[in-house]
Amino acid sequence: MSLQFLVDGTVAGATIGLGAIGVTLTYSILRFANFAHGEFIAWGAYATLAASAAMGLLVGHATPPLGPFSFTWLTLCAAVIAMGFTGGLALGLDWLLFRRLRDKGESIIAIMASFGASMALRSLLEALFTAQPTYFTRALQIARPLGFGLRATPNQMVLVVLAGLLMIGVHLFMTRTATGRGMRAVSENPTLARVAGIDVTRVIRITWMIGGALACASGVVVGLLVQVRPFMGFDLLLPLFAAAILGGIGSVPGAVVGGFTVGLAEAAAVAFVGAQWRGAVAFAVLIAVLLVKPAGLFGRRA
Amino acid sequence: MLDLLGYAAFFGTTALTYAIMCLGLNVQWGQTGLFNVGIAGFAAIGAYTSAILTTPPTQAHLGGFALPIVAGLIGAAAAAGLASLLVGALTLRLRSDYLAITTFGVAVVVQLTCLNVQGVTGGPFGIGFIPRPFGGFADRPGAFAALQFLGMVVLTVALFLALERLAQSPWGRVLRAIREDETAAAALGKNATAYRLQAFALGGAVIGLGGALQAHAIGFIAPDNYLPALTFQIWTMLIIGGSGNNAGAIIGAVLIWGLWSGSGAALTAIFPPELQARAASLQVVAIGIILCAILVLRPRGLFGERTAVSRHVDGLETNPSTALAEQDSAPRAL
Amino acid sequence: MSLPAPATALLVAEAVTAGYDPDLPIVRGASLRVAPGEILAVLGPNGAGKSTFIKALAGIVPIGSGHVLLGDHDITHVAPHLRPRMGLAFVPQTENVFGTLSVTDNLKIAGDALADRTVAASRMAEMFDAFPDLAHARALQAGRLSGGQRQMLAVARALIGRPRVLMLDEPSAGLSPKLVSEVFRRLDRIRESGVAIVLVEQNVRAALALADRALVLVEGLNRHEGLARSMADDPVVAELYLGIHRRAAEALV
Repeated sequence: MSLQFLVDGTVAGATIGLGAIGVTLTYSILRFANFAHGEFIAWGAYATLAASAAMGLLVGHATPPLGPFSFTWLTLCAAVIAMGFTGGLALGLDWLLFRRLRDKGESIIAIMASFGASMALRSLLEALFTAQPTYFTRALQIARPLGFGLRATPNQMVLVVLAGLLMIGVHLFMTRTATGRGMRAVSENPTLARVAGIDVTRVIRITWMIGGALACASGVVVGLLVQVRPFMGFDLLLPLFAAAILGGIGSVPGAVVGGFTVGLAEAAAVAFVGAQWRGAVAFAVLIAVLLVKPAGLFGRRA
Repeated sequence: MLDLLGYAAFFGTTALTYAIMCLGLNVQWGQTGLFNVGIAGFAAIGAYTSAILTTPPTQAHLGGFALPIVAGLIGAAAAAGLASLLVGALTLRLRSDYLAITTFGVAVVVQLTCLNVQGVTGGPFGIGFIPRPFGGFADRPGAFAALQFLGMVVLTVALFLALERLAQSPWGRVLRAIREDETAAAALGKNATAYRLQAFALGGAVIGLGGALQAHAIGFIAPDNYLPALTFQIWTMLIIGGSGNNAGAIIGAVLIWGLWSGSGAALTAIFPPELQARAASLQVVAIGIILCAILVLRPRGLFGERTAVSRHVDGLETNPSTALAEQDSAPRAL
Repeated sequence: MSLPAPATALLVAEAVTAGYDPDLPIVRGASLRVAPGEILAVLGPNGAGKSTFIKALAGIVPIGSGHVLLGDHDITHVAPHLRPRMGLAFVPQTENVFGTLSVTDNLKIAGDALADRTVAASRMAEMFDAFPDLAHARALQAGRLSGGQRQMLAVARALIGRPRVLMLDEPSAGLSPKLVSEVFRRLDRIRESGVAIVLVEQNVRAALALADRALVLVEGLNRHEGLARSMADDPVVAELYLGIHRRAAEALV
């Protein structure tokens, strides 16, 4: 039995975990399941592609790849710019759509609107870039041995590390800063938060920015390791929800643990059952959580 | 001329199959406030069940059992209803959004199953030779299309009347009470979850019936028919028609299907082939924006609900300001 | 219906209407005034709108008409999260602490609203001195505290901003008589430091024993107002207040 699925699962888990943090934060702070979150992943990936192409034109000559990796420093700069852009996109969608429904107190309508927005955003990507997949790089990478018969490409290794650093950063932000405390307070009790002097509007803005930026990072990881296509985020939506619910809605460490669990389970299913069933794994995890522990691993209530 | 009438009849038949799915969704959402994001999955369950039951025996998929269409339709409604019952039993006691997420997952898994379990579903090739009603008239296309359309009209009207009656029945009134005010419903001593579950299963059965009727109207099904886009279409139809209103559900379905196929035809005529895929995507963008705009500007749809409606229960639970309602003695959420 | 209005009222509410549905206000023109170092008890039967009134003053229930003054400022439409900074603190009745956050984080949240970090830290140390129970439990999740400790934490959270006016919604609810007198002793000491206190209470006897003045709301309007001491013995008030209660009690049976 090959344990290579552990590597693939860890890589998938990193992308799912990054996305699931955004899902769990918006879910607990804005109080609705955002079906458009997957589109932030896809838009983030395309924005990174566009930004690095634009910077490539500005630089005027081809930049060499960084060390053993298949991407350049331009890609990394572009990813940072695109994270800001995607945060802004999430903020803009909130301003246009969700804010108005929130004011009316209709959270279930907000879910439906997010479903409509998801269709519109994804189809807009198709209209702009066609449904055909595209790539950051077509360079082939040689997988290097890690021991125990496992192999990983340099890209996989560095991206998992970067994703892990981002996750730790968000966790520290949530637990050590005033804004993070405010976010946790709003997630538990928005009215008490206002009474206690927290600017809930500002907390909501920051939540969208963080959720959008992390979704973009997730999209860049998928884009660099697999491919970029308009459906890339929508196809991750069920794993994101499964991870967020498994970890417990509102818990950042829970979303990360949930993300790696779903990623590893998917990779195991691909290795031992068949790649065509990958998409059903997240559903199986979801059903198992709802049956056994609907509040999730680190959640407080269902 | 006859061609045009035949096309109109075919258009009408297809539109009414959507209308029936819309009526099923209206039982779940409009009357009970349950949020189903897996309509495509339940429609697929109905379509595949009926197809397997009614097609002639073949090696390409399970069956067929060559049963009469009526048996296929009953089987479709039963299978989709049962699936809804299971999903509802698992999620209805949890947060309302969990139902949405779970039904979304159901649709993903049903579509994967249709695609991958070739021995049962025919895999990516789908199922063909699904018998069409009034098959005896197949050699006279005009009469064939007209009869199919009339059959669908009769069925839709019958379903409409039955659901209207149900909505006015004590059962329907309890459902409305549950949706309007959970505490009042609980005070009445009614088991709200059981009622919700019944409504969810009934709505799911009707959606499955709609899926099956569509399969019989077209004669061919494949996994690609049951992508999330179908769910999105049905939602748009119901929201535009007006949730809670059965007549609105039917009008919304015909209207949106007309808009969808009309603009599709226009795009084919206007754009050169290489741009048509992009134009079709823009069509979805436009419908998505229309859906969102209706939700923000006119949440009760173009035709609204006839009975006065306050906010949904789920909205109340999560709305920070209403969670503070005045109750001087009882413990309350703040 | 005498109005022994304090000359130097700090918090003034005049003819306030408030409620969740603008067409059906629960508070229908209520008024109050409270001066520094004074405790005002807001009493009334169930559903009289006491709780909605105090929440409207805290800014979390929309005000339809009338106005609210804090010192010289009109705060009728000031966002609720800005009010603690202006010196108006509110302790809700239930769920008045963040149960998933530690005791320390609950206090830090109030400190975060202050401009100065070092001031926030020293105020928190003061609170731990004043409430040794909380100091011992500082790393504990607030949801694990006892009912009395929670009430103390909620009060401590409100005091971090050094409020000029402290409003409490039924601080005695759910507490044993011993804890109620402990909480009320604390309130008495806070008042002595010059803070104006508005207290919504069901526990009429205890509230009148503590308060300087009392206000009785009925159906969202001021029905009776006076010195707490005289009100406790006033047969008219007792009849009005307790009579309504008796009828409500009978209706329940």
